[in-house]
Amino acid sequence: MPEMAKSDKRFFYSLVPAALVSSLILVLLFIVLIYYSAPAFKEYGFRIFTTKTWSPSEESARTSEYGLFIPLLGTLVSAIIAVVLALPFAISTVIFTEEVIPKGMNKVRETFSTLIDVMTGLPTIVYGLWGLAILAPFLRDNLYNPLYAVLGSIPLFSCRPVTGTTILTAGILLSMMIMPFMYSVIRHSYKRIPAIYKEAALALGTTKYEYSKIMMGMVKPSILAGILIGFGRAAGETVAVALVVGNTFNMPSCLLSSSYTISALIANQFGNAALYPYMINVLVVGGLILLLIGIVSNILGIMYLNRVRYTA
Amino acid sequence: MAEELLEVRVEDLNVWIGDNHILKDVYMRAVPGTVTAVMGPSGSGKSTLIRVINRLIDLVPGSKVKGRVMIGKINVLESDPYMVRRRIGMVFQEPNPFPHMTIYENVAIGPRLHGLAREREEIDRIVEWALKKAQLWDEVKDRLDDYPYQLSGGQKQRLSLARALALKPRVLLLDEPTANIDPVSTVKVERSIIEYAKENMATVIIVTHTPQQAARISDNILFIYEGRVIEYGPTREVVLHPREELTRKFLGGEV
Ligand SMILES: Nc1ncnc2c1ncn2[C@@H]1O[C@H](COP(=O)(O)OP(=O)(O)O)[C@@H](O)[C@H]1O
Ligand SMILES: [Mg+2]
Repeated sequence: MPEMAKSDKRFFYSLVPAALVSSLILVLLFIVLIYYSAPAFKEYGFRIFTTKTWSPSEESARTSEYGLFIPLLGTLVSAIIAVVLALPFAISTVIFTEEVIPKGMNKVRETFSTLIDVMTGLPTIVYGLWGLAILAPFLRDNLYNPLYAVLGSIPLFSCRPVTGTTILTAGILLSMMIMPFMYSVIRHSYKRIPAIYKEAALALGTTKYEYSKIMMGMVKPSILAGILIGFGRAAGETVAVALVVGNTFNMPSCLLSSSYTISALIANQFGNAALYPYMINVLVVGGLILLLIGIVSNILGIMYLNRVRYTA
Repeated sequence: MAEELLEVRVEDLNVWIGDNHILKDVYMRAVPGTVTAVMGPSGSGKSTLIRVINRLIDLVPGSKVKGRVMIGKINVLESDPYMVRRRIGMVFQEPNPFPHMTIYENVAIGPRLHGLAREREEIDRIVEWALKKAQLWDEVKDRLDDYPYQLSGGQKQRLSLARALALKPRVLLLDEPTANIDPVSTVKVERSIIEYAKENMATVIIVTHTPQQAARISDNILFIYEGRVIEYGPTREVVLHPREELTRKFLGGEV
């Protein structure tokens, strides 16, 4: 360590605990989750990932069946729907903010993007309530019923939409929740594109559309980052999803059916999990998986963000 | 394809940015097959002038343009800027090949965008032609799929030039293209600019930071000072027998 003033040394050492605690929390989280999930693995083995039924019994572990397959699939399906729907909106909104709002109107631009940024911080229960009370019935009447009537022969839409709370509703609601995140990630990179490349593209006679395509190509790694970070968010989101996904152990292979996600399962079952042998442990396995999804998608996302080249 | 010859004529050009009167009654004429050098001290409005010609001035908030900028028979100021820019190539002071595209893609992008070529072989041919014209081909022909960050500054600038040339622009604008690059690349850029003008009967306008460069490559010189045209004429005359005191001072390095 280079020479430091005495007071700086003290300052330096005073920072160490905070830094240590921050990194320790993640490690502790892992240790605790692994510790509590171990019994579930010991009792049921890999079966918890492949079983499709969830039939806890108060008497014994032998007669209980805990299958995470459907919620796992539900988490993946709803998060993928969310990302696929949110991405075009995020990209177009970035282009709108940066290229459509005129150069001289920076106030308007900043206000607009602040509004979107604010959406990332809203309590998710608000989205959930709105999704349950308004979005779900609306989608059932105006989207699901027609879809079922017209495309009912396709497996994805082959189940009669009973309630509006379905895996598709969860995906659509999630897409609204993660769109602002993806927007922020992509816009952050887009803003940093040096003017010399914008001029180069325009001087080639590009239309706004062609120009935007070239600029988006330049920040493509940040689009991938947005996808990954958005996916991680969507997979981990709990309250809002628990309200609109329907919470039933139906296969999410039909998008119009209610289903489950890992996060919703944990939220719904944890309260009485203590009554059933091993249920807590199985739920912790679910938590561990969500943590892994979150960590991997965020680490990869950040790696991609650093890959944007701003100079030739 | 019979290629039309496009003369550039600027008449009564006035440009304001905000409240600043940047160009004042500027006029010039650049003829096909020649190189016109725009010179003058920094801040005199050279960049602004050539940005009016391809309407990049539109990007500057608060800019106002009056007058006529004729390219052939059309007035640029009353035309669709996208159509204008397609026929005008531009090279900037800072080398700016797209960092996310390979060397090949950087040159191919123009022809691809404007549908000049669809077949791969056709595009290959244009890319090779443009890189040769920009005197870069020999240095990159074995690594067309590399990214531009692996090139030197001078090579990047020649790549930017090749990208512009690939569209075979009838008018080529260059804004101090050699200000930031090495002497060897400077010579190559200069040679390719002259060649391109003569071989293709293109109209070339180059902003230059040194009278020496203007003398080396141009047929005509436009000298501007504080937004006004001070002197305009054949290069030999302007350099050897400047009519104006200001021009003489500028050539002597006094302003
Ligand atoms: N984007 C801009 N906003 C405000 N003023 C500008 C802008 N671009 C150029 N100017 C002003 O216009 C004048 C001419 O600039 P410029 O054309 O770049 O000169 P040159 O290229 O001869 O150095 C300068 O006074 C400069 O401050
Ligand atoms: Mg300039």
